[in-house]
Order: sequence, then structure tokens, then C-alpha cells
Amino acid sequence: MSRVPRSRRERRQRRLAAALVALLAAVVLFPFLWLLQMSVKPTADITAFPFRWLFTPTAAHYRALWESQFPVSLWNSTVVSVATTLVALCVGVPAAFALSRARFRREGALALWILATRMAPPIAFTLPYFLIYRHLGLLDTRLGLVVIYLTFNLSLVIWMMRSFFDATPRSLDEAAWIDGASVWQGFVRVTLPLAAPGITATAILCFLFSWNDFFFALILTRTEAITAPVAVVNFLNYEGWEWGKIAAGSTLVLLPVLAFSLLVRKYLVGGLTAGAVRG
Amino acid sequence: MDALAPRPVALGEPEVPGVAVRPVGRRDRTYARCLLPALVLLAVVTVAPTVYLIVTSLTPLDLTRPATALDFTQPLGNYALLLHDHRFWNSVWVQAKLSAGTVAFQLVGGLALGLLLGVRSRFVAACRTLFLIPMVLPPIVVAIMWKVLYTPDISPVHTALLALGLPIPALITHPDLALPAIIVADVWEWLPFTALMVLAALKMMPEEPLEAARIDGAAGWQILRHIVLPYLRPALLVAGLFRLIDSVKAFPLIYILTDGGPGTVTEVTNYYAFRQAFNFSYLGFSSAITLALVAAVFLLSWWFVRVVGTRGDVE
Repeated sequence: MSRVPRSRRERRQRRLAAALVALLAAVVLFPFLWLLQMSVKPTADITAFPFRWLFTPTAAHYRALWESQFPVSLWNSTVVSVATTLVALCVGVPAAFALSRARFRREGALALWILATRMAPPIAFTLPYFLIYRHLGLLDTRLGLVVIYLTFNLSLVIWMMRSFFDATPRSLDEAAWIDGASVWQGFVRVTLPLAAPGITATAILCFLFSWNDFFFALILTRTEAITAPVAVVNFLNYEGWEWGKIAAGSTLVLLPVLAFSLLVRKYLVGGLTAGAVRG
Repeated sequence: MDALAPRPVALGEPEVPGVAVRPVGRRDRTYARCLLPALVLLAVVTVAPTVYLIVTSLTPLDLTRPATALDFTQPLGNYALLLHDHRFWNSVWVQAKLSAGTVAFQLVGGLALGLLLGVRSRFVAACRTLFLIPMVLPPIVVAIMWKVLYTPDISPVHTALLALGLPIPALITHPDLALPAIIVADVWEWLPFTALMVLAALKMMPEEPLEAARIDGAAGWQILRHIVLPYLRPALLVAGLFRLIDSVKAFPLIYILTDGGPGTVTEVTNYYAFRQAFNFSYLGFSSAITLALVAAVFLLSWWFVRVVGTRGDVE
């Protein structure tokens, strides 16, 4: 077999694959792009039949959102997601370090428990939290959301950071000890800076999972602590079918997610499968 | 302090009892102190609610009658009720159909997409990130996108098909088509996940067997069937089990698109538990449904650990 025909065939196959990928990308992205254009489409054009490809973009839907309660819900989402991420990191990172460096009894039981909480459907936590929060007065508070988001963020931090710490060399800890540092000093000054990219990625994933949550916020908030995803759905349920506003609200919820996801795309699979498969 | 410890021995050496640089006891105590807060917090936020859930499932708790919260006269009453509840068994059947449909299409489609995205071409590599978008979008936004596509008045798909003279009925209000419509949306959302797992496994695949097969004159499909697929099997297994377990949590799509309807056609088990608790306020009964669901997920997870173990099949 000569090389020429094969490489020509390969080139043709490659071109075919590229064309197929382009076509698929268009199909896959269509629902997403349609929503984006709806957010800047005048209401009359959204429901027009036959629909209009060409229209004068408008910021009317965004302006209407700005004047409604929507900015408050965006602010709630931001505060809650940042707060739960910070708590999960402060408590989870040292724990992950300890698990990476020392052996503990019943580590297997801990791993199984973390896996179980990752696998359990959200309703399993929502029911007891709803009842407990009714007694504690934590329904419809941002603090209540911060706490329930720890149910998934804490295990996420422990599991992801553990594999990052496993990848930082122990010999550096030991070198620090020889220079007179305590275990804690060695951790803070040597290991932690080395694991900084891992911490950033983990923090972003925690933020995203909290920001994306719908179920917990739907059940545990009413008006005061309502988050952006729930606010968008309320447009759908209570305020008639204002599709332009719904599309604009959705766009505002998804933009930060897209930006952050691009930053951590390398770790996405690891984060989504955290707890079950150690990378 | 310990500066006099034997340097050459300790540096870069694995920990050997007796030649450790610092007293082992003290170091272990630091590690324990690092771990303790996380364990306590994890217990407070996850173990305590789980216990509460189990206790609630033993009462006929109905929020409209507060006294029912402490009524333990018939601890297994909810479970007995569950066994004869047609709506519960219907929800299990709906869940089975949803899980089977989504996992099957995501595996087959993910395999195809993963292989396609694995083609060595700069253009294809540049496009890979685009395919991640459905999976990273907030699930509620995904649900809204599909609500737009499935609402005949504003849907570009309905309008286009009508213009072509092929009008289709409204899918999400149709008893036979509502569940397939949800499956389509779910497959769209999570296909990138299985494709990504396939792609990650492909990248780690050794070149030699492929080269050898090519030199021996194997056709493309033979290479795929006998070399690539067996190599991808573990990755597909992990991806499939993950999607299976996650399919039990299906909520935003159902909440936005069909609300479990028409009737109970798309009411999966966790949705039924949600309705019992927050539409009918039977929190005790709902807790029993949820625990049955958790038990099922637990069995799946246990099976998962047995099958996958802790092998690093991903990344």
C-alpha cells in the first residue's frame, strides 16, 4: 500500500468530519442562540407569524428587568454563591490536605458517605431542611441557602482538593519541616500556594453549582431571599407570558456561567464526577 | 528546633517510622485538627437532616395538622401505603422509561460525538468547547429554552414545520409525546458529558495497536469494533452509570415543561415526592417516597463502586 492514497483519503475524511462537526454545532447551539436573540427582540416580533429574521434589536426587556425586583434576586444569587463557596473552601481545603497526607481510620466510610450525598436526589435534603428551617425561622433567608448548598459544596471541595494535594510533592512539606516549620506552617506557606490553581478551579465549580441551583431555592425561598433562577421562573408562572423578559432574565443568569465555565473547562468532568472516581 | 534532624535521611524520603523529622504524634494531631471541622460540619449539614428524614417518614406528618408531627403510632404506615399506591408505581415506571431513554441515547450519541470530536483537525479541536455549552448552562435556562421550542405560538420549529406543510401537535401537552419531548431535551443537555468522557479516554489511547491494525490492512470499522470500542468500554460504563444515577434527579425540565403532566404521564418519582410534600403538604408520606428513592440510588451507587471501584478511569 502506498502512502499517497491513504493520506488523500484521510484528508477527505477529515474534511467530512469538519463539515459534520460544523453542522452539529449549529444544531446543538440553535436553542441557545434562539433564546439570546429573543432577549433583544421586540415583543411584537417574538409572537409574529411568520417569524421575522430581521428586527431592530431593543434593550426594552433588559430595562424592564432592571426596574423590577430582578436585580435583587441577582444580588441574592451572588451573595449566597460566594458565601457558600468561601465557607466550603475554608473548612474543606485543610480537611482535604489532611486526607491527602495522613491515613485515618474509617476513611472508606467517609468516602462512601460523600458519594452517597453526591448521589442522593435533592429532595432528600429539601424535606428535612424545609421542616427544620420552619422552626428556626430560616425559610426565605440567604443564610438558609448558604447552609443547604454546603451539602454538595463541602464534599466537592474535599474530593477535588484531595486529588490536587495528592499531586503536590510531599517532599516539599518535609523540606519545610526540616527548616523548622510546623505542619500547619508548611501547609500554608508551601503546599497551599502550589495548589492555588486547583483552589481556583474548585472555587469556580462551587460557585457555579450554587448559582445554577433551582430546586433548593424554589422550596426554601419565597420573596426576600429569592435567587435569579427562581425569579426567572416566576416570570413564567405568575406574570403572564412575557417571553422577552424571560429570555433577558435567562441570559443574565447564564452569562456568568458561560464565562466561568470556559475558565475551568479542563476540570469540568472531574467536578461533575467528584466523589465517585478519583482522577 | 528540629534543625539538627538528619537531613539526608528525611529529605524527599517517604515517611519511615523512627526517622521522621518531627514527633509523629504532634503531626497527626495537626492533621486531625484540619479534618475535624469538616467532619463536624458535614455531619451537621448532611447526617442530621438524613436522620430527620427517616424520623419524618415514620409519622403521618401533614402540615395542615401540626399534631401529626409526633404521631408514631403507626411507624410503617407510610410504607404500607406506598406499596399499594398506584401513583407511586406509575412514577417508578415513568422514571424507568425516562432513565432508559436518556441513558441509551446519551451513550450512543455521546460515543458518536466523542469519536467525531476526536478527529485530528484544528477546526474540530476549536469547535470542542462549543459542544460543552448545553451541559454547563443552568438547568433552569435549558428548561426555558426547550419551553420556547415546544410552545407552538413562539416556537421556530413549529413555525418552520407549519410553513413546510408538516404541522406537528404541541408535544408537551400530548399524552404520548410529552415524555419523549423531555427525553430529547435531556439528551441535548447531557450528551456533551458522555462525549467528553469518551474524548478523554480516546486521548489516553495508545497509538501502537491502531498503527499495527492499519498496517495489517484492517478497515476503519474493524478498528473501531475490535480495538477502539473495547478500549472505551470502561469510560462508557462510568458515563452511563453517572447519567443513570443523575436521571433519578430529573426535576427542572419536568417542572418547566410539563409539571408532571398531562395527568401523571411525566411524573417521575422525585417529582411525585415533591408534589406530595409541597402541593398536598403530606410531608410524612413524601419522606417515605424519598427514602425509597434514596435506597434505590444507594443500591445503584453500591453497584457503581463494585463495578468501577476506585480505578482512575476518568482524566
